[in-house]
Amino acid sequence: MTYFFFIIKSALEDFRRSKMQTFLTSLGILIGVFAVVTLTAMGLGLKKYISDQFDALGTNTLFVAPGKLLESGGFGASSLLGNRFDLKDFNRLKRVRSITAITPLSSKSGTAKGSKKSEFVTMFFSSEAFFNISGFDIDKGRLFEKRDVGKRAKVVVAGPKIAEKLFGSIGEAIDKKVTIDGVTFTIVGVIKSKGGGGFGGPDYDSYFFGPYTTGFIFDPDKKFIRFAMKTDENLPIATVKEEVKSEMLKRYKEDQFSIIEPTEILSVVNGIFGILNLVLVAIASISLLVGGIGIMNIMYVTVSDKTKEVGIRRAIGARKNDILFQFIVEAVALSILGGALGLGLAYIGILIVQPYFPAYMDVTSVALALGVSTLIGVVFGVLPARKAANLEPVEAIRYE
Amino acid sequence: MIKLDKVVKSYKIDEETTFYALKESSVEIKDKEFVSIIGPSGSGKSTLMHLIGLLDKPTSGEIIVQDKKISKLNDDQISSLRNEFIGFVFQQFNLIPKLTVLENILLPAFYARKKLEYDPREKALGLIKRFGIQGKENSYPNKISGGQQQRVAILRALIMEPKMILADEPTGNLDSKTGTEIMEMLKTLNEDEKITIAIVTHEVDIAKYGKRIIHVKDGRVV
Repeated sequence: MTYFFFIIKSALEDFRRSKMQTFLTSLGILIGVFAVVTLTAMGLGLKKYISDQFDALGTNTLFVAPGKLLESGGFGASSLLGNRFDLKDFNRLKRVRSITAITPLSSKSGTAKGSKKSEFVTMFFSSEAFFNISGFDIDKGRLFEKRDVGKRAKVVVAGPKIAEKLFGSIGEAIDKKVTIDGVTFTIVGVIKSKGGGGFGGPDYDSYFFGPYTTGFIFDPDKKFIRFAMKTDENLPIATVKEEVKSEMLKRYKEDQFSIIEPTEILSVVNGIFGILNLVLVAIASISLLVGGIGIMNIMYVTVSDKTKEVGIRRAIGARKNDILFQFIVEAVALSILGGALGLGLAYIGILIVQPYFPAYMDVTSVALALGVSTLIGVVFGVLPARKAANLEPVEAIRYE
Repeated sequence: MIKLDKVVKSYKIDEETTFYALKESSVEIKDKEFVSIIGPSGSGKSTLMHLIGLLDKPTSGEIIVQDKKISKLNDDQISSLRNEFIGFVFQQFNLIPKLTVLENILLPAFYARKKLEYDPREKALGLIKRFGIQGKENSYPNKISGGQQQRVAILRALIMEPKMILADEPTGNLDSKTGTEIMEMLKTLNEDEKITIAIVTHEVDIAKYGKRIIHVKDGRVV
């Protein structure tokens, strides 16, 4: 062990004596590791964000949306297109026995006026089942209930972010009035934060949620943009899908609606991000390769600078393997130094972007970064180290 | 203890010419001896010293160390012999600049494969005290005088308790007063510790320390 410590200490002493050269040499690895870790963190974060959105819906959830979803490209676009559903559809789907809970959904955007300020907001109108289906929990106050839906009560549940914006704090918002496009609602509760938003996804924390019956105030046609439902856990989701489909086909043509299974989308998303991550890592690996070549180059220079030292060490009894080990340790120390600095920098970078982007660093990428830099040190250090080990003692010691 | 039997060292310069650094020579150094190898520069005495020190291999002939034929040993075994059997002292001291005095002295012990019967650190500190360089343990070689550096080099040679110290122009980079001190130190080691000493020099005054003098001239032992 003392032998090992001694070799490390002696390598570090070299670095201390040539800080600039050491830093520049490890810069390649630094940039490579920084790129790999940051890009993976962003890829992972994005993937996790999307997964979380779907995970919250649970595995036995289905959506029915108008139009052909995948062709028309996303929820937002499809909800603007073609026919929208009505109460008749709602009642029909309610009769499907393999569905345990269902809610219609409609939305409305407008200006909400609170006690502190006004803000442009989105409202979701649904049945009381919505919270359960979408996995929303109450934080303060209460959710709206079946009786609120029954009597078209002008009550809303607020997202925590918007509650704080309009009323100063979450607690302040409870039982307060909020006026949205001229209609006054009472805030009965605030949900727990769902996170997210910020880059295209729905920011539920800034939404208001009200009974769908009350929502008809804004829409005399009484239309819905989609239905969300929980299916019977004991049945295969495909069976339920078939039942819903046959019910919908009674009124619509096959291309006028889509039945969406979140897990289906999730697997597509996972697939895309898997490939994306691979591409990112491949690109970033090029800089690791370049960094490795930089280390190899400087190690060759070091070997020739230290020819005399090798000669001395050999003269006093160092074996070829001792010399080999010494130079490999030095190369590995260089690349780990770069790796650690890159990792540190990536960590800072991720902390900086986190408020705007769901970047997320996991243990695997840390382990991978350090593992890869060690490996680079060994791989690119071994050739120069072998050159050093194979120097003839008598020639090495004569070298000036 | 070490015997060079009809040893030749030659280098092929090109297809036709061969340079003989050392023509056929036989030398024996006996246990506890103090031998000086003297000769002008280019005479082949350095080559001879590298061969005795097992740093180099002869083109032909055999080197026998304690009844072992060097040609039968592999590189690791020869390294171990250099480590345990021989202590080197060089003209340019050859300390490693980035290591402290104490670390330089301890260096051979780090490469030792056999289990030492003593604590090398304690031994090193004892030697430092005995040979008057205390207080310099943690200095780097460039912060101490030439004479002190050569002392450190001798202590490095002593740390493994070798049978033989091989010194190549040990006073070559020192003033005559310091040179005398170093030679006295080697003499003491030979007389008190019974360590075999072989020095290579071109100075007659230095060579006189040897109880036996081997002359080398034109690549030949005379």
